[in-house]
Amino acid sequence: MLAFHAEIIRESTHAIPIGAYATSSAAHYLFLGHSSSYDVRFEFDRMERNLRSVSAVLPLLAWDEREMAQEYALTFEGLPDSRPLRGEDSAMPSPIIASGEGLMHLVVGPVHAGIIEPGRFTISSGGETVVYLDAQLGYAHRGVERHLEGRDPIEAAYLVARICGGCSAARSYAYALALEQLSGVTCPAEIDFARTIFAELERIYNHLADLAACASAAGWNPGFTRGMGLKERAMRLCAVSGGHRLLFDAIVPGGVRISQMDIAEEVEALRRDVESYLAALFGNGSVLSRWRGAGVLSSETASVCGAVGPAHRASGGKFDARTFAGYGAYRMLAPRTAHADSGDALARCEVKRDELRDSFRLLAAALQLLDGTAVKSTMHLQVQPGRAIGMVEGPRGRELVAVHVGGDGKLERVHVISASYRNWPLVARAMDGNIVPDFPLVNKSFNLCYACADR
Amino acid sequence: MSPIFRKSLGIRHLVCGSCNGCEHEMNALSNPFYDITAEGWDIVASPRHADVVTVSGPITDAMRSAAHETILGTALPRIVVAIGDCAANEGPWKDAPASGKGAVEELAAQVIVRGCPPTPDQIKAGLREAAKLLDRRSQ
Repeated sequence: MLAFHAEIIRESTHAIPIGAYATSSAAHYLFLGHSSSYDVRFEFDRMERNLRSVSAVLPLLAWDEREMAQEYALTFEGLPDSRPLRGEDSAMPSPIIASGEGLMHLVVGPVHAGIIEPGRFTISSGGETVVYLDAQLGYAHRGVERHLEGRDPIEAAYLVARICGGCSAARSYAYALALEQLSGVTCPAEIDFARTIFAELERIYNHLADLAACASAAGWNPGFTRGMGLKERAMRLCAVSGGHRLLFDAIVPGGVRISQMDIAEEVEALRRDVESYLAALFGNGSVLSRWRGAGVLSSETASVCGAVGPAHRASGGKFDARTFAGYGAYRMLAPRTAHADSGDALARCEVKRDELRDSFRLLAAALQLLDGTAVKSTMHLQVQPGRAIGMVEGPRGRELVAVHVGGDGKLERVHVISASYRNWPLVARAMDGNIVPDFPLVNKSFNLCYACADR
Repeated sequence: MSPIFRKSLGIRHLVCGSCNGCEHEMNALSNPFYDITAEGWDIVASPRHADVVTVSGPITDAMRSAAHETILGTALPRIVVAIGDCAANEGPWKDAPASGKGAVEELAAQVIVRGCPPTPDQIKAGLREAAKLLDRRSQ
């Protein structure tokens, strides 16, 4: 146990830790090497199910270890926050609060005022200033991973697409890559192009919704209404090209379900209107001044706590799974990594603005390569027993799906490490020292999902 | 008879473990293409202000008690509308270990809008049906 602990710590000095999960027989700690992900494993012997907490040294793994403890009855010596990650028997563990003279506590959720997923936020504040925020999620926990166990891997793609609506295409893509890896095949170029089109359309509708929500949180309703109208147009392009407004089942193991790719003109018209929207939004001084300095995530906190996606790239980070692992058509199309340093809501919005522009460039390039021809092809996969990890860059960041296929060809274990799961603890840290009324703005500038974090 | 609710509906949305697909479509009701304020309807911030509670998701174990409290906190007359296949107990997470049976079975929803997720137009049709039920009931 001690040797394993030392091995993980040593590994983290030259590779990036990205998550950890358990199966009934082992604990897996995942790392990013030079161009791919790999794991370091601790096989349980019959009796020993106690480990030494790695998250005491690498805080980004705190949720992972709490989840392993809860779901697989492991004990972690020295785990800094030993509460179960999610409620048990429908009772949520007590929140962590700061106490002291003049401090008060505000509990929000699990039912929120808007059309928002459920979560409980306990804010300790001295007047308006937030001293500590404890985010307790798990209300959307459906038991997704156990529900997948024992199923046929190809048929289970239908369920994987429905773990989370807002990043369905990214997750289906990651799952497909994992199964294709286990089958020893790579897709032909036309499938790669179609998948890029879906992945970038998903990024576009999400980023538009995020910017619209941030305009609303800054009190500029016209920016919200216009942004949501543009998001609607992007969703309609998803429906035309991928057969579903949220791209459910558009990407399947071995291919794409259906794709109507004569959308270049509509995409160009949308791009022009998005440009004019971005000019208005980023030309609005009062909006920018509300965004500036709100919810600062320092580059140090971002890297220690393992931020991913736009939140990572807005705090000085440079990782983008599309350029790192170079999967599919991204090897050829070379995405440009957006970048900002200030780590505030403004930086996150700027990164999303730049990514939107690049998404339209990638989308146009992929559409041109397909030249309007419909793609509908699926390779037959012979999924071999084994373990594979699919990794793609979704709208909110790195989406990982670990897939274990047993000797009977059925799913033995599926574990989802979503970008939202990685970033949720950071939303709470970005609120430290901010004022309570800025919580909606700071929260929206991350705009994370609950469904793929809770599963 | 004057159709009071058909021209003025307060809608509270309750998320009970949906994948957020239904929420993307509920949010679309406020965009310029579907704008429900043109119908005199509004998404309200509290169950106290609501005539209709739309419920999505299979009702997870963790959300069950909060869901019941929210419905009980809604003024009478009230209508519960099940949004999406999960709420109708026909969704992908039917029988998943921490999932329940959805709003039709658990919260006695009177209107059902099927779909994974339903489109904004389908949701609007369900809300119109809920308004009619309320008008009939309040006569």
